[in-house]
Amino acid sequence: MLTLLKRDLYLALYSSSSFFYTSSFFALILIILPFLFGINDVQLQVLFKGIIWIGLSLSILLTMERIFNADYEDGNLDIILQQNPSIEIVIISKYISHWIVYCLPLFIVLPMLSFLFDISFDNIFLIFLNLFFGSFGMVFIVTFVSALTLGAKRTIFLKAIIVIPLFIPFLIFGTNLESWPILLALSMMSFVLSMYVSAYGLRLYVE
Amino acid sequence: MNELKIEDLTCYRGDKLVLKDLNMKLKSGDSLVIRGSNGSGKTTLLRVLSNFIKSYNGKILFNDHNVLDDANYRNCFNFVGQKNSLKDNLSVKNNLKLWEIIYKKNIFYSKLLEDFNISHLMERDVASLSDGQKKCISLLRLNLTESKIWYLDEPFVFLDEENSQLLIQKIRNFNNKNGIVIITSNINLHNTFTNEIKI
Repeated sequence: MLTLLKRDLYLALYSSSSFFYTSSFFALILIILPFLFGINDVQLQVLFKGIIWIGLSLSILLTMERIFNADYEDGNLDIILQQNPSIEIVIISKYISHWIVYCLPLFIVLPMLSFLFDISFDNIFLIFLNLFFGSFGMVFIVTFVSALTLGAKRTIFLKAIIVIPLFIPFLIFGTNLESWPILLALSMMSFVLSMYVSAYGLRLYVE
Repeated sequence: MNELKIEDLTCYRGDKLVLKDLNMKLKSGDSLVIRGSNGSGKTTLLRVLSNFIKSYNGKILFNDHNVLDDANYRNCFNFVGQKNSLKDNLSVKNNLKLWEIIYKKNIFYSKLLEDFNISHLMERDVASLSDGQKKCISLLRLNLTESKIWYLDEPFVFLDEENSQLLIQKIRNFNNKNGIVIITSNINLHNTFTNEIKI
């Protein structure tokens, strides 16, 4: 698993833009907020808690093609599956690498953006916790959708139609600052579902 | 001495019968060219032999072990498919670095590229290379494992005369070291490799 993880992280490092894509996208969504809704502090703070989840959802959704499809398109998936006898290990390493490459940078820009919106430290911490547990669950979801739609070209809208409804519970509970245990539970359920369906999707490709 | 035996291999893709009652036996040092029209099942056969496709009837035995039950079989072969396994947005060197990680092997980049006389491409982005150059780099994966069998899916496509000869020499050298090679091809290689079947 470590080999595959290392390979995915190096791949992201060599195509250096990967680390900045989602964080820049995420930051831009939040920065345009005051232009849309004015500069009323209280209003912005309320909107901030919701918009970060929209930003996170879109960031994860837009990068889902890179989980399996990029390796499938160029033939690297065959090498990965030949070198790794366990499909489950391939899937777990993809969860971790995708989270590190596309979600972790969001946590780096989030404190700076929170200060822009005058969010208190206590609230930033709770938002962090929510996003941390929620983002894992969302990565689990896009991974299994990515595995299931492997090889289907130009289907980003179809994937979005499948993924967005599954994100709704995360969005509902994510905006409530005290609900990180529920997000943790949702992520654990997503993990179980995702492992099973992703393995099925990959086996379908192999077969 | 290694032996690859295929007994009564039948494989369906969906409802379509692709391979029917295929039997063959290859020993160390043998090469086999599989010819057939588009869609005849050449790639499917290689994917079955590489254990990517596991739902089939019949038996594939490598040194008398059924490949479906043999966990070590995946280390015994090298499969080079029609896709190049290269990341277009990276340089050739960075692609080789990724292979280095996944194959857990130190690679001397320029020495490896010298195989097809392409060491000058090391710093070039893969996206800027011709299909033939990409194919040459892709075939360099054959050097990265100590395998006993090579499965090559249309390896001569896009290769010019000079590189085709280099590849033929590479295959012969592998045969001389007791390697087994199975090649699928649309082109006639009868003058180069004597064993040929049509499917």
